[in-house]
Amino acid sequence: MPRPISYQRALRAIVALAAVLGLRAAPAGEIRFGRDILPLLSENCFACHGPDESHREADLRLDTREGLLAAVNLTSPAASELITRITATDPDVQMPPPTAHKKPLTPQQVKLLTDWLAAGAPWGSHWAFEPPVRPPLPAVGERHPVDAFVAEGLAREGLAFAPPAPPHVLARRAAFDLTGLPPDAADVLTLEAALAAGTFDTAWIAYVQKLLASPHYGERMAMWWLDAARYADTDGFQSDATRTNWPWRDWVVEAFNMNLPFDRFTVEQTAGDLLPGATAAQRLATCFHRNHMTNGEGGRDPEESRVEYVIDRINTTGTTWLGLTLGCCQCHSHKYDPVSQHEYYSLAAFFDSIDENGQAGRGAKPYLAVESPHVARAVAEAEALVAARKPAHDAARKAAEQPFAAWVATEHARVRQSPRFTAWQPLTVANVSASEGTQFTVEPEGTVQAHGPEPFQDDYFVAATAPRERITGLRLEVFRHPSHTGGGFGRGPQGHFVVTDIKLRVEEEGSAQVRELRLAGAVADHSDDPKKHQGYGSVKDVLDDDPRNGWSTREQPDAERHVAVFALSEPLVLAANEWLVAEIRQRSTLGGANVGRFRISATASAGPTVKSLDEPPLEALARIESLGDKLEHLPDALRKRLMDEFLTDHEPYQLAKRALDVANRQHGEAKAARKVDVMVLAEREQPRTTHLLLRGVWDAKGDVVAPGAPAALDGMSVMLPGRPATRLDLANWLVSPRNPLTARVAVNHLWQIAFGAGLVRSAEDFGLQGERPTHPELLDWLAVEFREGGWDVKHLLELLLTSRTYRQDSAASAELAARDPANRLLARGPRYRLPSWMLRDQALAAAGLLNPALGGPPVRPWHPPGVWEELFMGRFTYEPSAGPAQHRRTLYAFWRRSIAPTFLFDSAQRRTCEVSLPRTNTPLQALTLLNDLIYLEAARGLAERVLAEPASASGAEPEKIVTAIFRRVLFRGPAPAERDVLVREFTRARERFAADETAASTFLASTDPGGIFEGHASPPADRAAATLIASLVLNLDEALTHE
Amino acid sequence: MTDASLETTRRTFLARGAGLSLGAIALDGLLARDATVRAAEPPLGLPGLPHFAPRAKRVIFLTQSGGPSQLELFDPKPGLTKWAGTELPASVRQGQRLTTMTSGQKQLVLPGRTKFLTCPESGAQVGEWLPHLAQVAAKCCFIRSLHTDQINHAPAMTQFLTGNQLPGRPSMGAWVSYGLGSENRDLPDYLVMISKMQRPSDQPLYDHYWGAGFLPSRYQGVKLRSARDAVLDLRDPAGLDRAARRGMLDGLAELNGMRQAATGDAEIATRIRQYEMAYRMQASVPDLVDVSDEADETFDLYGPDSRRPGSYAANCLLARRLAERGVRFIQLFHPDWDHHSRLTSWCTARCRDTDQPTAVLLVDLERRGLLDDTLVIWGGEFGRGVAGQGDWKSPEAGRDHHPRCFTMFLAGGGVKPGLTYGATDEFSYNVAENPVHVRDLHATVLHLLGIDHERLTHRFMGLDFKLTGVEPARVVREILS
Repeated sequence: MPRPISYQRALRAIVALAAVLGLRAAPAGEIRFGRDILPLLSENCFACHGPDESHREADLRLDTREGLLAAVNLTSPAASELITRITATDPDVQMPPPTAHKKPLTPQQVKLLTDWLAAGAPWGSHWAFEPPVRPPLPAVGERHPVDAFVAEGLAREGLAFAPPAPPHVLARRAAFDLTGLPPDAADVLTLEAALAAGTFDTAWIAYVQKLLASPHYGERMAMWWLDAARYADTDGFQSDATRTNWPWRDWVVEAFNMNLPFDRFTVEQTAGDLLPGATAAQRLATCFHRNHMTNGEGGRDPEESRVEYVIDRINTTGTTWLGLTLGCCQCHSHKYDPVSQHEYYSLAAFFDSIDENGQAGRGAKPYLAVESPHVARAVAEAEALVAARKPAHDAARKAAEQPFAAWVATEHARVRQSPRFTAWQPLTVANVSASEGTQFTVEPEGTVQAHGPEPFQDDYFVAATAPRERITGLRLEVFRHPSHTGGGFGRGPQGHFVVTDIKLRVEEEGSAQVRELRLAGAVADHSDDPKKHQGYGSVKDVLDDDPRNGWSTREQPDAERHVAVFALSEPLVLAANEWLVAEIRQRSTLGGANVGRFRISATASAGPTVKSLDEPPLEALARIESLGDKLEHLPDALRKRLMDEFLTDHEPYQLAKRALDVANRQHGEAKAARKVDVMVLAEREQPRTTHLLLRGVWDAKGDVVAPGAPAALDGMSVMLPGRPATRLDLANWLVSPRNPLTARVAVNHLWQIAFGAGLVRSAEDFGLQGERPTHPELLDWLAVEFREGGWDVKHLLELLLTSRTYRQDSAASAELAARDPANRLLARGPRYRLPSWMLRDQALAAAGLLNPALGGPPVRPWHPPGVWEELFMGRFTYEPSAGPAQHRRTLYAFWRRSIAPTFLFDSAQRRTCEVSLPRTNTPLQALTLLNDLIYLEAARGLAERVLAEPASASGAEPEKIVTAIFRRVLFRGPAPAERDVLVREFTRARERFAADETAASTFLASTDPGGIFEGHASPPADRAAATLIASLVLNLDEALTHE
Repeated sequence: MTDASLETTRRTFLARGAGLSLGAIALDGLLARDATVRAAEPPLGLPGLPHFAPRAKRVIFLTQSGGPSQLELFDPKPGLTKWAGTELPASVRQGQRLTTMTSGQKQLVLPGRTKFLTCPESGAQVGEWLPHLAQVAAKCCFIRSLHTDQINHAPAMTQFLTGNQLPGRPSMGAWVSYGLGSENRDLPDYLVMISKMQRPSDQPLYDHYWGAGFLPSRYQGVKLRSARDAVLDLRDPAGLDRAARRGMLDGLAELNGMRQAATGDAEIATRIRQYEMAYRMQASVPDLVDVSDEADETFDLYGPDSRRPGSYAANCLLARRLAERGVRFIQLFHPDWDHHSRLTSWCTARCRDTDQPTAVLLVDLERRGLLDDTLVIWGGEFGRGVAGQGDWKSPEAGRDHHPRCFTMFLAGGGVKPGLTYGATDEFSYNVAENPVHVRDLHATVLHLLGIDHERLTHRFMGLDFKLTGVEPARVVREILS
């Protein structure tokens, strides 16, 4: 028995909806419920009168015909409350109500609703929830199915296909779409020849098939899938620990390359572990559902995290396969789509019994141990790098012997000269001050004595000039004194001291800014055990700017003095107008532990002098009376320590050593990847009981729910008689012919890959609030073709790329651009900026630097320095890969979830599932493409490559050089006007660089971060100018664009 | 950019080019970087915004990450001494969730560790660890009744800045930049600065805190770094001087202009403009961060730390320079307010970093006539609990996270100075009067900028999203001047 409803309130419900959609005027002819009426009701009414019972107003629902009949009069539609409310102007009566901030419905929309009521309000369902049926091909004289549907639409609009794009454009377009890389120059020539010979169509099909057979096809497709799967190499959140799920990434590449049918692809990733006799590869596939972020934040309840992971899986499944915004249902029933909160948690139940415990980092079981077939190659590559760098290192070490001998002789002469050589010299103290009131006297020899007030805590600032030679380290001596408490080290209650932090900076006369110096290490004659002294003790803790720890020596109260030595990260040379300020912070929790008497000294010796408290090697050397010819009088131990000191400063050796160290670390990393743990799905023995969570809160348990899929999507087919449904049932339902969504959603993704935007523009939402397809029949035809053709991804892509629709030129007349700015009618080819990852791969390929290897552990492309360090305050450091590993495809770039690779823009964030990517155009992108090391090195590579070609090697022919560069990127020759600009800029740049050789060599050095462009014959000015032109060409709109 | 505005741009571009060679277009419009090019840029913000007359034109948000303790700094509870060391009454706690760091221990009351200073002009009370702020407290409006839903850092900070605990929504700065645009065409609308600390942080500052979420990425905050390049990749490679870069960009613009004529794609005009903006930023950003034109007296005011690039004090000075340049939303982050232990050494360290520069920033803005239309916000993602963490008697004791009440202050554009709004119970545990949820704060900040929070929406995944989310949010009118 329906309750009587207040007409006023009922009306409010109805009116709220339609305007935003900007619905087309009703087409001549029939009104279709799914196309014309449902979107109006959904947009304007459902928020308060839809499926979500908890927010339903006036007990009126308009998402069912029965509900609607309460508010309409079918015999006199215009008198229906629905209609009078949406046309009312009284804010108390008007629908949607003013508080909804929606525009009133337009007269056309009101007419549409009235006409529909007059026709008896025929009901139907949302188009996407009805299984697709293959429509007949329109008879428009186009044999290709895609073209038939598109041509029909064009004809309706009085439009026609654009002419085909030229072969080089098509070759580039298809190569990016299918491999993410630019085409082979030879293929472009073949296509051009075929066009001239009148055999283009055949050649085109062969070309598309060749691309589909390339191993790089799988890599390109994986990039799509990894965004949806929110794949990353770290956990995210606070600790952001590294995980090793990359073998799953390789599984995806291989699955695409072997053209695993999309239904198998789906089932194995959703429930590969539950397949009978599951193989290791099938279990590996389930990592898809473990790629969510994991939270190891201290203080967090692991169960809360686990529930979040379950929710993430179901939301990801919703977006990726069903094109539904299921996430809305976590807290309430969907406001627009027919999915209740109960049904949402029924879906969640499929993922609720994973044998996991909400932990992150290395505790995120279940794991699968994987020995990747791709590691051997990475190890061999790293070994080769070590082998290549070892001889240079050894040679540098050997070459150091001779200068070492000379250095020892010189130093010996020097240190013997002074009456008593000491490596440490007290600073010349200009001023000592304190922030809390301590006063000081500076005694001869630089000793500082505190007196006056004795504050609870204090910071001392020692401003000093230092010897004009360099400073490599500082020494702090703390002394006892009779004026101190008990004759100890300080004037506090116990006579001891705690130094919490030491900071160093350089001040320059008249400068607005100070320079901070970094200390690399600290050693002391004694450090207390922090465990026994409330965290205070270790001298190393004075480097960390944390007042909760620091250096103390309470355990040795009887020593005459205590000493600590600090090494500077880099040697410091003070200018005449600069001075050094050492800040001694004493901010311990307990207080009363300020230093009473101290002295600071500096040294110019590197190595052992600043790394230990042992006698400095030069002081030992000073005691030796005379040296023989070959240093044979030096004791071995001293000789070693002297060598250590010498090598620390010997830049040629340090250069070779750093290079070798990087290679060795890379080798170590590769070896460690031989066997890794991949997070996968596995059911726990005792299934968990799944509850609806009230308001979506993790521990607010409501009704118990059983696993199942939404009824509106024919989810009943999942339920099997006699046993509870499993994840495998869910997987099979996703790809069942009765599921109305999966095939449509998948072909829409594939369409998006080829055309830059889907037939359904909202790839993530096929629900009532999503966009309707631009070509609904075409979408359904493709969906059925895909499903009935064995879910054959390569077949479907071939179908799209061989269409006339795809092959159109992308240029638009002003008229067409104005009429169809977003190209929804497809009367021209797709034109849009390439994804940033393709831009990097393109640049590497054009430069001839690209390392085409497949699979294996992640690599680290160039990054501006300090990016990770800033974010994590030094907890993570980024060391770019060396050697060929630097030039792997972007797919393999290490992805730290909390800070994605900085050279990417508009990319998925890999935090939650993303299936449609934004395209923006910002100045920061320009800066990246102009100045990032990746692009500078690629420009340099391209220039070097072109200059090395016999045809353009002669520096006298700018035309040939710029043409070759242009061709390598765009696969066409420049038009005369374009060539003139390039020649002009090249000539101008070359003149500039020729006139300023320093600029040329500096520019060349700054475009060669890896030191890989050595031994070249061309003059530096040519190379620098060609590099600048290569950078220009790589920044051309045409180069950045899918034309 | 919408299709329509692209189209307008394209028409403008082509119309100006009619009758000229393409090279001339580039030279006329781009090389000279004259007013014509700027006029062709898209309009500020969204049409129809601001919705009403704004009280503030820009925001400086001094974000204190980690959860500063209201008990030591802003919310004096002298009566707590009598409860010291006793268990927090269950009637006060009301089942409040704890983090697993303290859920295993008894909740014993730790009275505030500080004496409070009273501002002579307004009577506002500020803990003795913030002596400079106490002197200028009459300029501030303290809200003692903030509350949030989240008890752990990342979700709480995400909610505090984006309105939702899950990453993926636009931050407040992105919303404001999206809605209002910028007054300065040579700098981004939304700039972010993070204090450079030596200590590895326990709570990283994720870039989604200043992200654009589902808004176009050009609205995301641009991080100003204290490194050699204040903006990533800002600097041209060594050996390439300004003239060489200019020549290269001229050639690029000329060739792109030809391409636009051939393809009719208006996006190319946008691209040309963005390269020009990049070029201008190469000058405007170094000019911004080069503080050598500041008087010595200014550095003395902001304190010695202000000469140290990357410090909070130096960033406060930069914030003032950004405000002078008309940047819309300026956000500072100062990490490490998460004082689970050792309040006297640890919390005081963060107070020393921030006290003087914060106070002086208000004074400096005021004396330059900027405080009237600049809204300054100070606060973190939650507060700290009254129970001691660790042995309450020990100097080592600290406090755990507390979402049910915390204090923030606002100053400047449109806010009642000298007001203390809202109150907590005698334990500073629950809000006792005038609760302000973080979404109420969001609504209020938008209101001060002339934005109705209900009407600044963006459609995504079929839904209209707004900063304040789906729960009701209210503008706290009582604090408006």
